[in-house]
Amino acid sequence: MSTPATSFNEREFVTCQISRLVEDNYIYWVGGGGEPLSSVLLAKRMGAPNLQYLTEDGVVGPEAQVPFDPLMTMISSRANYRALQWSTMNYAADLAQLGYVDYGILATLQVDRYGNVNSTVIGKYEGGEGRRFGGPGGADSIAALAWRTILVTDQQKRKFVDRVDFISSPGFLDGPGARQRHGLPPNTGPWRVYTPWAMYGYTKECQLELQGIAPFVTIEQVLSEMSFKPAIASKLEILEVPTEEELTILRTQIDVGGQVTDRGRWIELAEGKYRFAA
Amino acid sequence: MRILEDGGADYLKVDPDGYRAAVRDTKPHRMVSKMMSHQEAIERFVSDGDYLAYDCNYFQRGPSSLIREIIRQRKKNLWICGKFTYVACALLVEAGCADRIDIGFIGFGPWIARAVKEKRLTIYEYSNAVMTLRLKAGAMGIPFIPVRSFGGTDGFKHSGCKLVEDPFTGKPIVLAPAINPDVSIIHVHQADEFGNARVFGTGIAHAECALASKRVIVSAEEIIDTAEFRNDPARTSIAHFCVDAVVHAPFGAYPGTVQGYYASDPAGVVEAMGAMYQGDFKAYLQKHVYAVASHDEYLAKVVGAEKLAEIRRRETIKEGYHA
Repeated sequence: MSTPATSFNEREFVTCQISRLVEDNYIYWVGGGGEPLSSVLLAKRMGAPNLQYLTEDGVVGPEAQVPFDPLMTMISSRANYRALQWSTMNYAADLAQLGYVDYGILATLQVDRYGNVNSTVIGKYEGGEGRRFGGPGGADSIAALAWRTILVTDQQKRKFVDRVDFISSPGFLDGPGARQRHGLPPNTGPWRVYTPWAMYGYTKECQLELQGIAPFVTIEQVLSEMSFKPAIASKLEILEVPTEEELTILRTQIDVGGQVTDRGRWIELAEGKYRFAA
Repeated sequence: MRILEDGGADYLKVDPDGYRAAVRDTKPHRMVSKMMSHQEAIERFVSDGDYLAYDCNYFQRGPSSLIREIIRQRKKNLWICGKFTYVACALLVEAGCADRIDIGFIGFGPWIARAVKEKRLTIYEYSNAVMTLRLKAGAMGIPFIPVRSFGGTDGFKHSGCKLVEDPFTGKPIVLAPAINPDVSIIHVHQADEFGNARVFGTGIAHAECALASKRVIVSAEEIIDTAEFRNDPARTSIAHFCVDAVVHAPFGAYPGTVQGYYASDPAGVVEAMGAMYQGDFKAYLQKHVYAVASHDEYLAKVVGAEKLAEIRRRETIKEGYHA
């Protein structure tokens, strides 16, 4: 069953990447929906059956019944089925402030070299000039307080920028020490950034570092879809494609309606190489 | 205390002593029946210019029927506690009821930028948890609360928060101002006529809203006997003395879900989201609010018995949701 898949799309690829990063026996606070939740639900069915996750409504360790109705990823009986505890948002915030949240996973609208996250406005904030989005929601707590934060975004020039238009949730702000100068707890912050094409970490100077790329793109293609040049690891990992087993679970149990993964380009194996489908 | 950075934006005036006096003078300390209609509750307890908090949202165990009644009564100049919400802020602003929002997360779309540009709306930036912690401070009777997140963000610079040097550790810490809303509206699973109330399952900040707010309207799926509270007091989420009005509102969260009681109506959710993304609420408000005089008429004429039976049937999970 762990056969490398021969056909998948970009969303499925990135969801499987994050899912494999999810470690068993740790506590996760995940953004309510999209790739963060799908990747955790996939991990629970693969290598991490004992991981526990929280969402903003203060649910602890649910055995969610998927699929959900549209938007019903929190405060619904299916999302919160057979949890260990039901509480409210301040409890989730308290757990994060206390240090119980080992990992946070966030989908982001726009991210910069320091891992600062924008979910407020693209363009100018003042006067309603820019294109407005919903705000940080629960992401500010996750980004500030989880020991390690995993970010997921698109590999697109306009989403991967030198400086976000608005810091909704904190990355390393403007470099080493900045988080603590603004009251955030030490030893926290962005840890990995995933896109459908690549995986990044951070250098000691809190700079984004390209550490892995998908087998269906070149390093040049990745860099061409960034507004700045990141640090590049001395040895680049080639990310492994989804397995048939992962895709079967994702498609038949988790994202049945394709709400999360039915976007992005398709990739196929042809003549021994992965490439974008025509 | 040394202030290192000041968010500088307007915030609801912080006045814990004034709130204590309001609790003494206006809260119903003795057990009295507070049953009333949607119309009466909103007429009596929501005023133009109020700071309004609602708990959960239009899709998730929120007081959707009370929100529709606020719009129907054309309240004005409300300042909204916009945490963990999708369309309710949009509906209230576009219907002309609200002109300020403290944003944790709200459903977005072209309507926000348009309303800000046209100066119909002023926004302040927070996050969901900063907003629920502000309510917690309001619910504790204290003027502010230290928060370990939010510092260093651009949201901070458009908020009423301050970064200070903590007098105990000497380290920087964000302080967020307490909120004591003028009025909160909260939808619950069960309540008695006095306002004792039970929420089953997860939530956002219903207990904080009830304690922090000068006036509280509870709408309930079921009205139960006080004896049931006495039989299982640990399940009481809100005590009667916080509550000013109790409204019996079966399917009060429609088109949203009430966990264990009924599922959301995906078509109803998509219809509201569609209006928001397109930025045109006229047809939605006409059909779902103005065309009917009451929640009962709305359920009968707009939603229909068949749909209500269907969403009840689809909510198959009951564990944990009944006393």
